[in-house]
Amino acid sequence: MPFISKIERQTDYTQFDSTVPIVIDNGGSYFRIGWAGEDEPRVIFRNIVQRPRHKTTGETVTVVSDHNPALLRYFDCTRSGPRSAFDGNVVYQFEIMEYILDFGFDRLGADQSQIDHPVLITECACNPIQSRCRMAELLFESYGVPSIAFGVDAAFSYKYNQQLGICNSDGLAICSGFMTSHAIPFINGEPAYEACCRTNVGGYHVTDYLKQLLSLKYPHHISKLTWEKVEDLKMEHCYIAPDYTSEVRIFKKGAKEAEEKTRCWQLPWTPAPVEEQPSEEELARKAALKERQGQRLREMAEAKRSSRINELENDIRGLEFLLKQLKQVEENNVPAFLRETGYASKQEIESNLAKAIQSLRKAKGEQVETEEKMDASTADKYNLVNVPDDVLTPEQLKEKRKQLFLKSTTEARQRAKQKRIEEELEREKQMKLEEEKRLENPERYLEDLRAKYRELSEKVEQRKRLKTNGNNTNGNQNGSGGVGRGERLNAAQRERMRLLTTAAFDRGKGEDTFGIKDEDWQLYKLMSRDDDEEDEKSNEDEADLARVSSRLREIDPTFFPKAESGSSTAEPPRFRPLTKEDFQLILGVERFRCPEVLFQPNLIGIDQSGLDEMAGVSIRRLPCKNQGLEEKITKSILMTGGSCQYPGMAERLEAGIRMIRPCGTPITVVRASDPSLDAWRGASVYAAAMQFPNQTFSRTDYYEKGEDWLRRYQFNYTL
Amino acid sequence: MEAEVVEAEIVLPTHLNFKRVQMYEKYPKGQARGRHWKHLKQIIQAENYQNYPPDEPNYVNIESPPPMHPCKRICDITGFEAPYFDPRTKLRYANAEVFKVIRSLPNDYVQRYLALRNAAVVLK
Repeated sequence: MPFISKIERQTDYTQFDSTVPIVIDNGGSYFRIGWAGEDEPRVIFRNIVQRPRHKTTGETVTVVSDHNPALLRYFDCTRSGPRSAFDGNVVYQFEIMEYILDFGFDRLGADQSQIDHPVLITECACNPIQSRCRMAELLFESYGVPSIAFGVDAAFSYKYNQQLGICNSDGLAICSGFMTSHAIPFINGEPAYEACCRTNVGGYHVTDYLKQLLSLKYPHHISKLTWEKVEDLKMEHCYIAPDYTSEVRIFKKGAKEAEEKTRCWQLPWTPAPVEEQPSEEELARKAALKERQGQRLREMAEAKRSSRINELENDIRGLEFLLKQLKQVEENNVPAFLRETGYASKQEIESNLAKAIQSLRKAKGEQVETEEKMDASTADKYNLVNVPDDVLTPEQLKEKRKQLFLKSTTEARQRAKQKRIEEELEREKQMKLEEEKRLENPERYLEDLRAKYRELSEKVEQRKRLKTNGNNTNGNQNGSGGVGRGERLNAAQRERMRLLTTAAFDRGKGEDTFGIKDEDWQLYKLMSRDDDEEDEKSNEDEADLARVSSRLREIDPTFFPKAESGSSTAEPPRFRPLTKEDFQLILGVERFRCPEVLFQPNLIGIDQSGLDEMAGVSIRRLPCKNQGLEEKITKSILMTGGSCQYPGMAERLEAGIRMIRPCGTPITVVRASDPSLDAWRGASVYAAAMQFPNQTFSRTDYYEKGEDWLRRYQFNYTL
Repeated sequence: MEAEVVEAEIVLPTHLNFKRVQMYEKYPKGQARGRHWKHLKQIIQAENYQNYPPDEPNYVNIESPPPMHPCKRICDITGFEAPYFDPRTKLRYANAEVFKVIRSLPNDYVQRYLALRNAAVVLK
């Protein structure tokens, strides 16, 4: 069922006489071109154009129709999406149209100086004159076509089927195309445009709906859901339910019939390699390795430590020696001696020595005797503190102040240490209590812990969600530009917006006095995004949550921390290995929900009638109200167009039309023999007829008579 | 141009024999290529259909009218019948489970579901 484009270059162009018309079916989805009188169009391709840039040479080329993506990898296709010449069902982009015609004629084999054949091209019903004019101009000017005829594709299809006997000369054609659907009644073989009816839903909308639904349901498979793939899915699996409500009820009940009607698309998936439990030997080997590494590290540390101790001892010995020497030296030679050794004074040497001894002690792992030192030196250090002020000289006063300061700081430090020790003890006590509780009743303890974890995590998640709901969308959706496009603003953002707008509001007359007062700049502080919601409570909760989860992880083997994702639909939870089911796309209700759009366009927000009502509207609009005529029309209703090939469409259409027509009218709905190609075939048969040249208009006609004449150009379908 | 690309002939050649005016002459390089082709709405406006008798069929008056049948309300997420409507997110839902799902959706998903029905909030 999926279409295959035929784009081989034809080689027999020259064999056709210049009276043989070329027939073009310019459809919204596919472009078909061929020779009149033949059964099949020679060239069929998708009616889109891309203009990517070549990656290495940088030139922009034109690529018509879709091609093998493998070949397109040489081109940078990011800037150039596929573009169509159509807006709805009317051609408006004639540059693109020209590319498409170029390609079409080229593949048909044209290589002479100009296209020297009359051309029959299809257009939409009641095509705006401008579009028609431009198309005529394009064909006359750029291609040198001698004469053109325009026809409506649905009409050609109807005439073809009429010839085949599928429908009568009075009837109704319901043509469902790519972007639009028409209902055109035929009276005596001619379409009655005054009673024609058009709804702007077509195959494109159905595919788009299906694509959106699947992307929303399976956001992590979004890369697989390309337009072409979704179209394939639509053509294979979608059907039209005879009655939407009852069908949906079957699915809601979840009965076995619903199971049968669900289709499942399995994406290619390879299971992750299962890690086997390491065997005993493996474990032992690994443990030995770790032991060895640990041993090595310990040895290295030992070596370092001993070398450092040696160094220090050396230093100490040197310094002591120096001191001894100093004692022996006489008074006069002291400065000279000191200069040689490089120390400024005896005190320095002594202090260095003391420091070295201390480091040595630390290296050897002994307690640093700061406490003792503290006590020993407090006495002489603070000797001035207790002496009253008036006894001291100014220098001594300064000394006293320094000592007071030192004393207070050291006391504070001691207090802090005490508090820390106390807290440690507290925590130890708590842990011991918990352990006891656990040991006496392990299950209940576990339950309590789990419950606590659950509620904490819910609270945290909810708060996170509320906080970041606005911020997330801001971050994800708009790279450029601030808030906009329909996001919900939370309170903080609203406030910010308000501040911004009031600050920026131009009060018109007078100058802008913002900034003259210093308080104005406080505005920026209020607007700052950085310290948004420093909620203390949330931090506490999160800390609790972390503690509880770590505890649980220790004792409970079946516990898994909940994934930290904000939304559960964003990605599949990773804490269990991905299974086959994660890679399955299920099409259940979507199978018939999407084509339902053709019958109920307000499912996607288009406020127009569906196909069955269109038939009624069309009959109502007939100029001559005649019971017999209406019956004749309903007796031959033809479904044509690419988008009418859903299974179940005929029954649904019949049921729908029966609802709006008087009771007992005969209704027959038939499908065209080949809904997609019949339009071309009909046009081809028509163009091959003898009287075809009468229906065309030539270049001279067009330029003499002008646009107005083209407005009244009517095509006669019966020859 | 790589060999296989040339072989496959996917690129449209720039010079075609049967054309009287080639594309590169018609649309010279360097000129703003976004030629301002009129969109359908502008074409219809320019047609001035109101100057012509309303009986004559033209592009505008063959449009179909809004439907007579009452609008069918289906759940936005599952497609079942939806008698209920969520005032906060403006989505329709079928039962309580779907409601739970709706309330847990992030905002951009909500807007996309609404956009399916052409009911999303569009701030221009």
